[in-house]
This record gives sequence, C-alpha cells and structure tokens, in this order.
Amino acid sequence: MKTKILWLLVAVILPVFAMMANAHANPLDSFKGESGTIRIAGGTAHIPVMKEAARQIMAVNPAINITIAGGGSGVGIKQVGEELVDIGNSGRKPTDGEIARYDLKMFEWAIDGVGVVVNPRNPVRGLSKSRLQEIFAGKVVNWKALGGADKGINLYTRDEASGTREVFWQVALDQKEISSKANVVVSNGAIKSAVAGDPYGIGYVSVGHIDETVAPVAIDGIAPTLASVRERKYTISRGLFSNTRKEPKGLTKKFIDFLLTPEGQKIAADNGFIPVK
Amino acid sequence: MANRLEKITEWILTLSALVSAFITVLIFVFLLIFGLPLLQGGQWFDLLASPWSPREGLYGIRPMLLGTVYISLLGMAFAFPLSFGCAALISVFAPRSFGGFLRKVVQLMTGIPTVVYGFVGIFLLVPMVREILQGGSGMCLLTASLMLSILISPTLILFFVDGFDRAPRSHLDAVAALGGNEMQQFIFVILPNAWSNVLSGIVLAFGRVLGDTLIALMIAGNAVQVPGSVLESARTLTAHVALVIAADYDSPEFKSIFACGITLYLFSAMMVVLIRSIGAISGRKKR
Amino acid sequence: MSWWLERTMIIFCWICGFTLLAAITTILGYLLYQGLGSINLRLIFGNTSVVDALLLRKHVFAGLFPAMVGTVAVVTLSVGFAIPVGIAGGIYMAEYARGGVKAVLGFCFDILAGVPSVVIGLSGFALAIFLHRHFSAAIYPSLFISSLSLAVLVLPYIIRSTQFALESLPADTRRIAVALGATKLQNIVYVLIPRSLSAIFSGIILAIGRCAEDTAVIMLTGAVAFAGVPKSLFAQYEALPFYIYYISSQYANQQELLSGYGASLILMLICALLFFVASMTRKGVACQALYRT
Repeated sequence: MKTKILWLLVAVILPVFAMMANAHANPLDSFKGESGTIRIAGGTAHIPVMKEAARQIMAVNPAINITIAGGGSGVGIKQVGEELVDIGNSGRKPTDGEIARYDLKMFEWAIDGVGVVVNPRNPVRGLSKSRLQEIFAGKVVNWKALGGADKGINLYTRDEASGTREVFWQVALDQKEISSKANVVVSNGAIKSAVAGDPYGIGYVSVGHIDETVAPVAIDGIAPTLASVRERKYTISRGLFSNTRKEPKGLTKKFIDFLLTPEGQKIAADNGFIPVK
Repeated sequence: MANRLEKITEWILTLSALVSAFITVLIFVFLLIFGLPLLQGGQWFDLLASPWSPREGLYGIRPMLLGTVYISLLGMAFAFPLSFGCAALISVFAPRSFGGFLRKVVQLMTGIPTVVYGFVGIFLLVPMVREILQGGSGMCLLTASLMLSILISPTLILFFVDGFDRAPRSHLDAVAALGGNEMQQFIFVILPNAWSNVLSGIVLAFGRVLGDTLIALMIAGNAVQVPGSVLESARTLTAHVALVIAADYDSPEFKSIFACGITLYLFSAMMVVLIRSIGAISGRKKR
Repeated sequence: MSWWLERTMIIFCWICGFTLLAAITTILGYLLYQGLGSINLRLIFGNTSVVDALLLRKHVFAGLFPAMVGTVAVVTLSVGFAIPVGIAGGIYMAEYARGGVKAVLGFCFDILAGVPSVVIGLSGFALAIFLHRHFSAAIYPSLFISSLSLAVLVLPYIIRSTQFALESLPADTRRIAVALGATKLQNIVYVLIPRSLSAIFSGIILAIGRCAEDTAVIMLTGAVAFAGVPKSLFAQYEALPFYIYYISSQYANQQELLSGYGASLILMLICALLFFVASMTRKGVACQALYRT
C-alpha cells in the first residue's frame, strides 16, 4: 500500500518537475548538438542585437558560426530574397511587392524609434517639424537661426537602401526632399559616430543607438526616448524585422525563435529597443 | 620522353599566360553584360551626363564622375610639386646620407595600407580641416585630396628619382667642368633626360588616384552632388560602387554600378595606353 | 638663371622634403600614440583563453583573432591561386613569347594591373551572383570568391616580376647551359630560375602585402562585420582591413575604437615586415640559390 502511494507521488511529481525544468530551460539549449552557419545581413539598427544573440549562441555551441553584415534594410530584403543570406533584417516592413516577389516571412521582434540627434556640445535640443524639414532640405543652413552657434549645419543622411531613412523620410520629413549636400554614411552606428565627432552635425538614428555621445532633439516638443516611443507619443517609429524567404527551417528557425524568447527579448531591451513580448 | 616533357611544359606555360590575359578581357565582358541593359541605344552617355536620383528613376553617374575627376586632379595638384621637390632633394640637392634616408622612408611609405590612411584621416585630418577652415563637416573634397596626395607621393617620387638618376654621368661632369652648379646640372641635364619618367609617373599615379576607393569612401563625405567648392562633400565612382552594391539582379541601381565599373575600367586602360605611348616616344627619341 | 631663383628652388625642395617627413611622422606617430597602449593579448583574444582560441574550441568575441585568421586565410588562398599561374605566365612571357603575341599579352597584363581594385571586387561579386543563380545555391560572396578576386588583382604583378627577373639575367648566363647541350626547359629549370629566384620571391612578397592590405575587393566579395573564424571555403569571414574600415565609421564605444587603432598598427606592422623581407631577400635568396645549384 505504502509503496503504491509512493509510486503515485513519484508519478505525479516527476512530470511536474519535468515541466518546471522545461519552463526554466535555457532557450540556448535548443542549439546544443547543432552545427552549421547562419548568414545575416541588412538593417544596421539590428546589428548590436544580432551580435549579442550570436555571441550567446556561439559561446554555448562553438560549432555554430553566425555571420553578420550590414548594408541597410533594402540590401537585407534583396539578399534574403536572392537566398544569398538566411536572414535579411529590415528596419521597415517589407513592401507588399517585396513580400510577394520573394515569398518573405516576417518576424517583428522589437519596436524602435528614429530620433534626430546633434552633438552634445550643440545647445539646440528641440525643433519643430517644419524647421526640421527646412534643415534637411538645405534651406536653413546655419545653427544661429535655431539658437545655436554661428556655424554651418552639417547634414548626415543614409543611402537609399536604409530603412531608417525610409521611415524618417516618410514620417518626419513628410516625403520632402533631403539635400544632396548631405554627407552619406552607411549605418546607424556611422551616423551616431559622425555626429558624435562633429560639433555642428545633425543626423537621424535608431533610438536604440542614442547614447551619451549624441544629444537627442525633441520634435514638436516630444523627445525621442524609449518611453515616448513605447507610449506612442513619439510617432517616428517602426518595427524591427527579421525576414526569411519562405518558412524558416533548422538553425535559422531556432535563431528567430530565440529572438522571441524572454532571453532574446531581453537582449533587445538591453540594446535600447522595445520588446514586442 | 624528354622532348614530350618539354612540349607539355610549354603548353602549360602558354596556357597560364593566355588564361591570365583572358581574365583581363573577361572582366570587361562581365561588366558589359551586367551593365548592358542600361547601355543599349547609346544610353551610356546619358548616364554619364544625368544626375543620380533613384526616386525619380534617374541613375546617372555625373556627380560621381565629376567627383572622381575633381578629387583626382586636386590630389595630383598637391602631390606633384611635393613629389617633384622631394625627388629633386633625394637625387640632387640633399647630402647623400639625408637623401638616402628620405628614399628609404618613401619606399617604406609604399607599403602603408590605404585603409590606415583613411583611418587616420577620419580621426586626425577631418577634425583639423573642419576646425581650421571653418566650413562644412571636414569630410570634403579637400580632405580626401590631401590624404590621396600622401598616398600617391611615393609612387611619383620613386618614378621621378628613377628618371633623375638616369642622367649620364659624363654630361653632368661636362656641366661641372664648364663651371655649372648643381642647379644648372639639374635644369639642363637631369630634367631633359627625365621627362619620360616624370610623365609615366604622373600617369601611373593618376591611375592610382582614380582607382582608389577607401580614402574617398571614408573621408570625402559621399554626398551625391557635384561639389561646388573644395570644402563640399563629394562622392567618387569607386566609393559609389562600394556604397550602392546590392544583390538585386534586376534593379537599375545594380546595373548603374556596372556603368561606373566600365567607366573606371576604360579610364585606367586609357592611362596604360598613355604610359606605353610615352615609353614608345621616348624610346624612339633615344635611338 | 638668377641666384634668387636658384635659392628659392632649393628651399622649395627642402620644404617639400620636410613636409613629406612631417606628414608621415604625424600619421605614424598618431597611430602609435593612440594605439600602442591597446596592443596586448586581450586586443587579439578578448576574454577567451589563448589556447582555446588557437585550437578553435571557443569563439573569440571582442578580439581581433577572427579577423587575423580571416586575413591569413584569404591571403594564403589568393597567393596560392596566383603564384602557379603567375610564375608560369611570367616564364612564358620571358622565354617563349615572341613578337606580336608577347606585345598583346604584355598589354593585357598592364591593363589588368591598372584596373582599380573596386572594379575587380565588383566583377568578383557579379561572378558570385551569377554562379549562385545558375550553378549552385551554395555559392555566394565568400572566402573563395574573395581569394579568387584578390588572385586576379595580384596576378599581373607576379607575372611581370617573374618576367623581368628572367629577362634581366645576363646573356652569358642564358647561353652557357644551352651551349653545353642543355634543352630549353633544362636551362630554365636549372639555370635561369635559380638565378632569378630572389627577384621572383620579392615580387611574391609584395603581392602578399597587396593582398593583405586591400579592402575594396574583400568588402564587395565576402568580408563581413562579424563572423568568427571561417570554417569553410564558402563561408563569409572577417578580415583586418575591413575591420579597420568598419570600426572607423561605426565604433560603438571607446574600447572598440581603441581596437581599431590596434588593428591599424598590427596591419601596418605586417605590411612593413613583408616589405622589409622583400627588400632583404633580394640579396639573401640570391646567395642561397647560387650556392645550391
């Protein structure tokens, strides 16, 4: 009799334990025993998160190689479409045309804003939307008119492949022109370091990339911060997507699943993005 | 047996040379095939003349073409006098020990990676130009040309020195015997003997400036515009190729960078033809 | 010629000389000043232990190790492709090619030597896309494509240095063995090549330097920002010059920027070393080759 009860207890407790263990299982465990490569390219706002995720995965399993390249959202979508990479990141939603043409599957794993930044030595901390448009059109060319020093404004922008540029141009500039005099750089990180190094520079960058080396500029009184983007007060925002051609399989699927686990979402949050879960 | 070995070896050697030469042609054909849709019907010239504005469906490379020409010419304008002076110093005016030292430094400079020049350019030259000249971001035509002039000076100097050292000893002695000084030796004997080397050096260095990617990409600013002053941002053909590269086969952007490639190829081939004709002319003259 | 003009001219030359020296001292001094402090094992291996990294048991993050391995791999492969073809082509040019054929081939090599590296990179990229579309989905911009492109980049240098090395041998050297009854091939293998080995060798070293420093080709054909040590020919990889380019514009923090200075210094040291080896071997190898044969 006693033994029976004991067995019963074991029978009940074991699955409970197993479930608990499962719930607490490290999501990285799913990569154990795997080997191979995942190639990632595209959106440059994504890169810090991609790198950190890759580090964690490659640290538990040295047999996995994850390669990460930039290029911008356009490049990411095209390269994954041509199957040159496994995952193509984009800082904008792929267009319907792109989705249909390449049979893309989209995975949105974070929300991000696009904020205007200047050098911390520049006193200008707020602009109206119309002023911003004039600045980027090259119509206002001196900081003095805006309350800054009597110096020329140096514009920094991104190339056409950039999702950040696309979002900024659509929402902040209302599709008005960007001056052709603007310096063109290749990534979010590059705009940040360019503005950090240029006391008279202005650029736009993923909110996740804003740190103490650059100063955010409020647009119509609303500063680009994590909070204002989350509360949807700051409207220049977009989702961060990882796209695959057709349904992801194998390692690629595991990588994308990992991004959506609590651990993956924590990486996104640590890098200044708003997790979707 | 031995005879057969000879034949086979000759075959392999011939094949290697032919394959290598064929690659030269192949690259051009490759560029042509990929760029063809944009080039048909004489559109190449339209492409060279029109601006770049993908949103309006314009994929012209005029700003990049002019950017390349301006940056190269300005770079040469800085590098030529500098190199000429250095070369004259090395082979004529400086004491032997200092000349030898300078020559070693110049030779070592040929080994410095381009990307290192670009790296130092970003963190040293760009802020300097921005603060001293007080205009623009410092990423501009001038900055890139200055750095490029440092990059190509060794090439120029070594060519010039080679030419200057060619002057026949007997002629130099003759001038000295007539009471001529070093300067007169330089003007009347050394320079006339060196002009083909000087020209070849210039053409070769010009080819290098045209073809350099990293310095312009890193410190010229890359704005798609025809620069209005030396302090304005500019983009070269080479930087354009590096910036625009995307994997979409069928997009016009992708094809337009092949137009850049073809233009660069033709430019550099022209330089080679020029050098060869300089060599041929001076060769005939000597005979 | 007036005395004043002469004076000005000489002073101008001295100014030029010192300007150049000042420029290069500033560039090197700046790099040393900023980067020397960052050069240590941590710069290369990050937090991973050296043994684990070298045995590829663990990946190195935040260190230059993958980039250095990538550079070594891409240089070795490309020089490996270019040397046999290049030397064979050079021997053909010097010993077999005559007349019109020689002129046409020489012209081709000169043009190839002048083609900007970004154009060669572009062709390599296009080739990768072409092969990917029409032959195998496993081919994309990778270590293999990069090394092929770099091989094309240095091929003309190797051909020409081999050719000139052979052609500059004295006519006597060329005739002796043949006069004693050696065949053309024997003459080449036993006499001509050993005598010109040093010049050929220094050409190769310079080609290695060219491969190691070139950035435009690799950035279009497979070098990426983050990759780990490449495990196959068809993997993307990190490389030192690309790392320097990448860090220069997109460093995330001060530590990354410092590692950029460190990487620049290391790359420069490698190139300077190769350069010295090239100029030293001109004498060294010549002696050796003379004694052996």
